[in-house]
This record gives sequence, structure tokens and C-alpha cells, in this order.
Amino acid sequence: MSARDAFAPPPGPSATRRRALCAALAATLMAAPLPALAQQKLTLWSGWTELKPFYERVAAQFKKKHPDVDISVEVIALREHEKRIALAMPSGAAADIIEMQVEYGRYAEAGLLPPANAAATAFVSDPKHFDKFVQDAVSVSGKVYGVPLFRGQTVLFYNTDMFAKAGLSGPPKTMEDYTTYAEKLTQRDSAGKPTVSGWSLRLSGGGMGIAEKFWINMHQYGGAVVREKNGKWFADYANEAGRKTLKQYLDNVIVKKTVSPEMKADAEAFSLGQTAMFIRESWVIGDIAKKAPGLPYATAPLPKGSIVIPVGLYVPTKDAKKAALAWDYTLMANEPENLVWLLDNVGWLPNRKDVDYSGVIKAKPAFEAFVNYPKDHSFFTLPFITPVSEVLTRLAARLEKGYLDPALAGNDAAIDAFLKAAADETNTILKREGFYGAP
Amino acid sequence: MRSGARSGLGFALVALAPVLTIYATVRIYPIAETLRLSLHNWNIISPRKPFIGLANFEELMGDALFLEALRNTTIIAFAVLAITIPAALALAALINHRYGSRLAGFYETAIFIPHVVSLVPAALAWKWVFDAKLGPLNWLLGRFGVAAQPWLYDPVLAVICVIVLCAWQAVGYAVLILIVGMRNISPSLYEAARLDGANSWQLFRFITTPQLKPVLLYVSVVTLISSFNIYAQAFVLASDSQGAPGKLVRVLVLDMLENSFRNYRVGYAAAEAVILLAIVLVLTGAQFRLFRDRSAAS
Repeated sequence: MSARDAFAPPPGPSATRRRALCAALAATLMAAPLPALAQQKLTLWSGWTELKPFYERVAAQFKKKHPDVDISVEVIALREHEKRIALAMPSGAAADIIEMQVEYGRYAEAGLLPPANAAATAFVSDPKHFDKFVQDAVSVSGKVYGVPLFRGQTVLFYNTDMFAKAGLSGPPKTMEDYTTYAEKLTQRDSAGKPTVSGWSLRLSGGGMGIAEKFWINMHQYGGAVVREKNGKWFADYANEAGRKTLKQYLDNVIVKKTVSPEMKADAEAFSLGQTAMFIRESWVIGDIAKKAPGLPYATAPLPKGSIVIPVGLYVPTKDAKKAALAWDYTLMANEPENLVWLLDNVGWLPNRKDVDYSGVIKAKPAFEAFVNYPKDHSFFTLPFITPVSEVLTRLAARLEKGYLDPALAGNDAAIDAFLKAAADETNTILKREGFYGAP
Repeated sequence: MRSGARSGLGFALVALAPVLTIYATVRIYPIAETLRLSLHNWNIISPRKPFIGLANFEELMGDALFLEALRNTTIIAFAVLAITIPAALALAALINHRYGSRLAGFYETAIFIPHVVSLVPAALAWKWVFDAKLGPLNWLLGRFGVAAQPWLYDPVLAVICVIVLCAWQAVGYAVLILIVGMRNISPSLYEAARLDGANSWQLFRFITTPQLKPVLLYVSVVTLISSFNIYAQAFVLASDSQGAPGKLVRVLVLDMLENSFRNYRVGYAAAEAVILLAIVLVLTGAQFRLFRDRSAAS
């Protein structure tokens, strides 16, 4: 203390007031950034790039309800999305809301994914909202872990002009018809090489897609890549259904040459008029609307049934406040208005059943085959078991070679041997992971 | 004197400590952890990682997909090396020959661009080049009466496509390093050789090439290691192409990623990584030995 301070008079009322004012001002200044600090941010991870506008639309609505919450939508390619989930879930670094297919089960079983909160559980468990198949697809041991959003389901897409030119009045009804139709629909050059495939089959590409498509075709013959019995699984394709399916591929690729491996395939070929028919999910409708709006086409249910791959929204975040907000977002995504927008603008089929989609279906009749199918239509999904990806990936690698093997074409014994070797590998994987049970 | 040397060593250690710490954290630790994981069975999410000894390695020896990936990767790596080094040497010699010309900078840049251009767009451009129906390569072959080839689908042609893409990317870097090496060769050697009547080919054969051996060793090692690590080239050229057909050329890194993040077998993928590490170490050692022996002999 200086001598000057020592002789200064004690602070009077005005000095005290000044100090109080200063303190109040300081407190105000310090408190000023508080609203910004209170701004919450939720992150959403998606693996379907076409869904970004949908999630952003819901985020805009969410912002109106919760002005202090921002939603960041981070969309990357599906395979990369799967990788980031696999890396982030064990380390607790996943986004607040994530999209998952069947893999949610393994995270739930490992305790890395908390169950849904009371509001989301009540919403999902209400049979008015979802069928049991869909409810089960987001549950483990009867406990709800996510909110269903949309599903992948397959139908036949066919070019009506090409069908008319080939003298075909309607879609094929049986799997045998598919090959007959493909022969009639294939357009060839002067050397007999196909220039427009009669039926675009998945013959190449990475990952398990080849085996998934094989399974869809085999389902029409009553087969399955893996089948459950008493909670255990076994390969169920080294049989007549598997033989018929593989034989049909070989007939089309090698014997009748209605399609060749180097031709453009799938949705791209269909949009470009380079294939007459192919089997795919509903997103193709939105894709065609963007890329080939004038394309004359129709859809039809498959002969026996279809794969259904449900996709749901899950909330791995442990922060209770953020989790509550995140669940609220998943419920908002399931608002009827948003689901109708999803169907109309993106093309994926929403899972919620108590919503009136008739306006969209009327305007886009291609959706009809996805919702109005025969009574005995049967559905299957990928099993919620860890080794399913490895089973399908390894089968896909074998099929990719098999489809081009002339030694298999027309040779039932060789086809049977091929399928037995593949099924043995499938069963070995199931045994190693503790999922195998004898048929 | 002794205390001075000791304090100098201490200072060096302190100065190097941050770099060594970072290096140990981002290089040594992951390698050690990979070695450890390769002896365990771990599904990425389970806290349990039971020790299984060499079981992962035993399984790998009978795994058809792994063996295919190993075969493809080895073929690609050696083919890229076999194409890149001679091509880079020839191009570097030509560019060096034009040293000082107005276009020298342009040549160097043009050759180096493929190395710096982003891989995915480059691979997509090559995908178009190789397209069986619309690609300019088949169009060009057609002008000479050669039938269109399914470049991206045929199992052999698909591997060749990957080799071409990798070599195209690698050659720019190799040329640049070799040019630097060539410019460091003493001009007096060439002058002496010329006085002895050596022609251009003899200058290149008996002066340039031997003088470049350390640089060639470096470029060869880098090219071989990076070729063994290829992934994106094969992935973009062929895989997950729903519209365009494409044969997935299975390479080691792709197989590892699939086992880690799709099949959730991290220990198994780590065993693959250990084998890749061993191959690269052995081949690098062999290259060092080869070049050293030849240098000693010459």
C-alpha cells in the first residue's frame, strides 16, 4: 500500500455503488456469451447420400421446436458409414443419432447401444404404427433400441416399351418366365452379341451384393443362404433351390447370353435403356425420376416374395439431455408429413403403416408393387447374426467366378459340387462363431 | 571433454524427444499393437480378446480370398516396379537431356501431375478409359481391328488395369527423384568419358546408371512398398459399382479392411497386416542387398 492510499478516506456509499455497478457490468459481460454456450449440437450419421435432404428438412423443423439445438447431418457412402460405426461405437465416439441396418444388434448385445427412451419405446411398440416384423427389426430380447425409418424391398422394374415390342403384355409371373422373357427381350448386334440385356443380373462388384441378389432370386425357389432352427443357423442352398437359381444365372449368362458381364447393369443400365428388366429397391423410382423422367416403365412384385432390409435410427449418446433431444428427432422424422415427403422425394419406403401414402402412390404408380402384393407374398431379411457379412462376402466371391464358369453351365453335378463347397464354407464360418446348428 | 560429450548427447536426446515421442506413438506403438492383436481373437467391440497363438496365421494359409489377395498384390507390386523404374529412368534421361530448354519445366510438371492429382477422380477417369462400351481405349483398338475387351471385368485384364493406373501414378514421382539424382552427377565424369570417345548410350549406361544406384534403390523401395499398399485404385476401378460392371481385384489392404470392419475380425486382419509387413521388410532388405552387392561388384 502506498502512503497516498494509506491517507485516503475510506470508501463512501458512492464508491460502494460504483464497485457494485462494475461487478454487475462484469457479470453481465461474462453472462453475455452464455446463450451461445448453451447452444447444443447433435450430429447425425447416415450412409445414404440421397437421404441428406430428408434429414436436413427434419432438422429445420427440429430447429423450430428447439431453437437452441443444431443438427449436423453427416452423410457418407454406405461402406464407409459401416466402417466409421464399427470404429466409433466401441470408443464411444459415434454421432448422437446413427442409421443402422441389422448391425445394431451386435452393438446392443455388447452394451454399446442404450435402449430407446420411454417415448420412443412407446411409439415403436404401438402396433398401430408398425408391424411386428418391423418392431422386431429394432429390438433385442423384446427391448426396443431404435426407431424404424425405412426399408429396402425389391420388385421387378421393367421397360414397358421393350416389353410391347417383344410382344409381352405383362410382367413375368414365375422364375421360369424370367428366362423366357429375357430371351425375347434381349437385343443383339449383327454378330449376335447382346447390346441391350433382357434381364440385368448382378454379376460383379464388390462386397456381399452379389450374394444378396442371389438370395433374392433363390427365395423365389424356396431357398435361403442361411436358415434358422432353434436359434442356430445352417447353410440352406446346397439343394434344389440353390441349383435352380445358379442354373438360371448360368443359362442367362453362358447358354442363352441374354446378358454379358461387361454390359452396363442395374439402375444405370435401366435408366439408359440398356436393359429391359431388373430387380431392385424402391429408391430406383426417385433415381429414374431424376435421371430419365420420360422412361416408360412399370413395376411388379416378384413371384414369391422379397428381401426386406429395415433401416432404423439409433441413439448411442450417453448424455441424457442430448439423448432425449436425439430421440425427439427420430420421432420427428417419423411424422406422417415427413414420411410422405420421404417416399415422394427420395423413394425409400417408410416403415410406419398408419400414414396415408395414397397421394404419392397415385401420382407414382411404380410404388404400387411395393405396397400391394399378393396375400401369400413372403418376406425375408438378413439374419441379425455377426457372421452374416462374412458368409455373404465369401459366397459372393465364389458366385462371381461361378457365373462365368462354362464347366458349370448345364452340368447339374458340377453345380451341386460348387454349391456344396460354398455351403461347407458357410457352415464352417457359422461353427467358428458359435451360430451353427445342424438342419 | 567427456562431460562435454555427455551434455551434447543429453541435448540431442532432449531435442529429439518430441519427434521420437510422436514417432513412437504413431508408428512404433501401432505396429507393436498389430503384432499383439494378430495373436488374439478380437471382434472389435468385445472387451475380451482371447489369446489364440498362431491360429489366425494358420487359418490365413488356407483362406482362398487371402491367398488370392496376396497373389494379386504381389503381381501388381512387381509389375508396377518393373514398369515404373525403367520408364522413369528413360523419361528422366530424356527430360534431363532437355535441361535448360524452355519446355523443361512443362515436361517435369506434366510427368509429375499424376502423382499429385487426387486418386479418386483419377481412378474414375481411368475407369472411363477402360469402359468396355464407351471407353476410348476400346474405340482406339477398334480402329486397328482389335475386338473390344472387357477391361474391368475380365480377371486378368482387371489386374492389368490396376497395374496401369498404379504405374501411371508412380512414374511421376520416380522421374522427379531421378532427375534430381542425374543433376547431382559431376559433369567432369561425362567430359572425361567424352574425351575417351564414349557415345550418348555409353554415357547413360556406364556413368548415369551406376551413379544413380542409391537413388534407384530409394525409388525402387518406395515404389514397391507403396504398390504393396494399394487399395483405393482397386476399389474405385471395380468395386461397389452398381451401374458399371467391374471385377473386384482383391488386394491385401482391401481384404484387411473387409475382415476388420465388415467381418469384425480384427485379430485376423492384424495377422494379414503382419504378413504384409514381413513381405515388405524382406523385399526391402533384398533390394538393399541387391543394390549393395552390385555396387560392390562395380
